Amino acid sequence: MSDGSPSHDRVWEVFRQEAEGDPMIHSGNVRAPDEELALHYAREFYGRRQESNRLWVVAREAITELDDPDLLKPPFDRSFKRPGGYLIKHKLEAAKARAGAPAAGEGHE
Amino acid sequence: MSENAADLSGPTRDALAQLLLGIADDEFVIGFWDSEWTGIAPMLEEDVATSSISQDEIGHARALYEMLAELTGQDADQIAFGRQPEAYRHAALMNHARTDWAFSIARRYLYETADAVRLEALSRSTYVPLAQLTAKMRREERYHLMHLDAWLRRLASDADASSRLGSALRTLWADALAIFSPVPGEEVLVRGGALPEPMEALRTRWLDQVLPVLDELGLPGPTEQDLAASSEDGRSRRTDDFLWLHGQFTMVAASESGATW
Repeated sequence: MSDGSPSHDRVWEVFRQEAEGDPMIHSGNVRAPDEELALHYAREFYGRRQESNRLWVVAREAITELDDPDLLKPPFDRSFKRPGGYLIKHKLEAAKARAGAPAAGEGHE
Repeated sequence: MSENAADLSGPTRDALAQLLLGIADDEFVIGFWDSEWTGIAPMLEEDVATSSISQDEIGHARALYEMLAELTGQDADQIAFGRQPEAYRHAALMNHARTDWAFSIARRYLYETADAVRLEALSRSTYVPLAQLTAKMRREERYHLMHLDAWLRRLASDADASSRLGSALRTLWADALAIFSPVPGEEVLVRGGALPEPMEALRTRWLDQVLPVLDELGLPGPTEQDLAASSEDGRSRRTDDFLWLHGQFTMVAASESGATW
């Protein structure tokens, strides 16, 4: 177990790929004094049961983090910026009705 | 090339059984010693790594005991757990108790590097099942070697740890050389290629690989006395430390003989 010395306290984030071509998915982290042992421990925790095709091990301090709510959770309704956020179903139906009615009428003549 | 046990001559089979027993006991006993670090290794992550490596070794021992059982018509569990302490054939290196972390790393470094040389040779064995098994074992041992090399260098870079490593190595060298004690009937094995090279040649190769590394790290190699020590009983000498461990690892099997689960 840790003796509390700072050299044991570096945290390394581990990303795992299950099969070639799959995305790298964050799996968790390990503590290790340096890159070499971090790789060994990542292998022990996230790869010793043949469950991984590739591991990425990144020192936590090398990660640039953004967690500012003003940037990430703006207070106004911005649902139209989401792919599903802008509801066009009713507008589309109305447009179809406008375009479709005369065309159907023409077809009967 | 021999595909199976039935193709082997009597003398080859006997000598091969001796060879397999020695290697299997090495893996089995070091696996048990180092599994004692479970729960008390220097940090949690290392605890998992050491336990997992120890499990790997016991797994290798199991595969070797099974190959031996096929050769001699015995039962693998019976070979592993059913013998009296004096019937074990591990090298004297495995007679020592776990001691401290530097001692365990020193022992393991000597063992893993010697085992790597031995496995490389056996992966060229004319006894096909052994060549196949050792080729598989080598893939797992690669990581063991990397891990031990990392720890040896780490400890060597610290004054206190380095002096502990040094004194452990001085204690262990003569017994580590026993890994390459001649196997009874070795000539037959070398002639037929089941053991592609004599143990003496493997011992020289091992020393050529390991001594420059230890020298670079300021760690001691064997003394003239260590090198000259007789290896006659290198695999039959037993100690009180081992008697204690034997009591531990046979305890469950002995509690109800023949039990299965």
